[in-house]
Amino acid sequence: MKSNVKVHLFAAILALLMLAVCPTSSSGRSEPPRVECDVHAGPCRAQISGTRVSLDIEPKPVKAMHDLTFAVTFAGEKPVATPYIDLGMPGMNMGRNRVILKPAGELVYRGEGVIVRCPSGRRTWKAKVTVPGVGSVEFIFDVIY
Amino acid sequence: MLSTEAIYFVIFTTGLAVGFGHCIGMCGPIVVSLSLSLKGRSVIVPHLLYNGGRITTYGLLGGVMGATGSYTRVVAGIASLQKGVMILAGVLIVVMGLAMAGWIPLGEIFGDYCNPQGVLSRGFRKLSEARSAVTYYPLGMLLGLLPCGPVYTALLAAARAGMEAQSTLEGFLIGVGLMLSFGLGTVVALLLIAKLADLGWLKRRDVIYKISSAIMIIVGVYFIVKAIRY
Repeated sequence: MKSNVKVHLFAAILALLMLAVCPTSSSGRSEPPRVECDVHAGPCRAQISGTRVSLDIEPKPVKAMHDLTFAVTFAGEKPVATPYIDLGMPGMNMGRNRVILKPAGELVYRGEGVIVRCPSGRRTWKAKVTVPGVGSVEFIFDVIY
Repeated sequence: MLSTEAIYFVIFTTGLAVGFGHCIGMCGPIVVSLSLSLKGRSVIVPHLLYNGGRITTYGLLGGVMGATGSYTRVVAGIASLQKGVMILAGVLIVVMGLAMAGWIPLGEIFGDYCNPQGVLSRGFRKLSEARSAVTYYPLGMLLGLLPCGPVYTALLAAARAGMEAQSTLEGFLIGVGLMLSFGLGTVVALLLIAKLADLGWLKRRDVIYKISSAIMIIVGVYFIVKAIRY
């Protein structure tokens, strides 16, 4: 009887772990478009709801665990709200790492941030640029450790 | 901008979430090793102490981040220490794996060839024998220094909060508080893993211990290789 309880407990814990660890991409939310780019070569370009947007990171080459300046530039119209950037690794929850952007010109927004280092050795990171109320885009790029 | 209370909550839930995803992969092998080395004894108190030590280190690091408000400088300062801790963790897992299976008695490793009264010998013996659960607290403190992406991210939040603090002391306290919140969030997953690895309810324990020992040795070597390449 007692061992039965333990087996059930084990199964419940295992199920809980599997639920927690399994990817949540099938949650039904629409994923933002993804753009792969070489951020060391120059700005990455994409569109958010039809508006052209570019992301640049300085200094280059872009290194993890260094102070970095992120610049988001819009072409055409000024966005309706101040954008922000969420940094993370594709497929891995690294915790919230948000770069707060501030206006640095008519269509340019800048902010300071750090891309942290993953001990696994994976170097691919993503910067999700979001314009509140409009949409977002994910830039995927490799960083140097 | 989030209020201070909201940041604590966000960072606690972050710890909870990454605990199940990230920490299981990184700290899981260590936690499993510690559980198995207890060989059927209660895992709760030793693991609470291990987690307490780990969170203490997080809190201290958060305090330094909050007080200085400088993330990259502090992280650069502890980089080589972290590498050393990663190697030590790997060696520890290998030694515990060897000792658990009884393939190489620790007495022979450290007693015959090294000074048996030496710090290293005594430390490893105490850890592997785990006679005193208190040993798990300093072990947790040491292993709290392991390089870890989500911990880095949480420390970044502590440094940012410190930059906005009115004084160094306030920055220190906020940094400590944030990292304690983060650490507490990660405890749930690691305690569950510790309990899962507690094989007291399995009948063929000897076989499981042998297999687990082999896995521990492989994981330990993987840790050492990763640390050298870090």
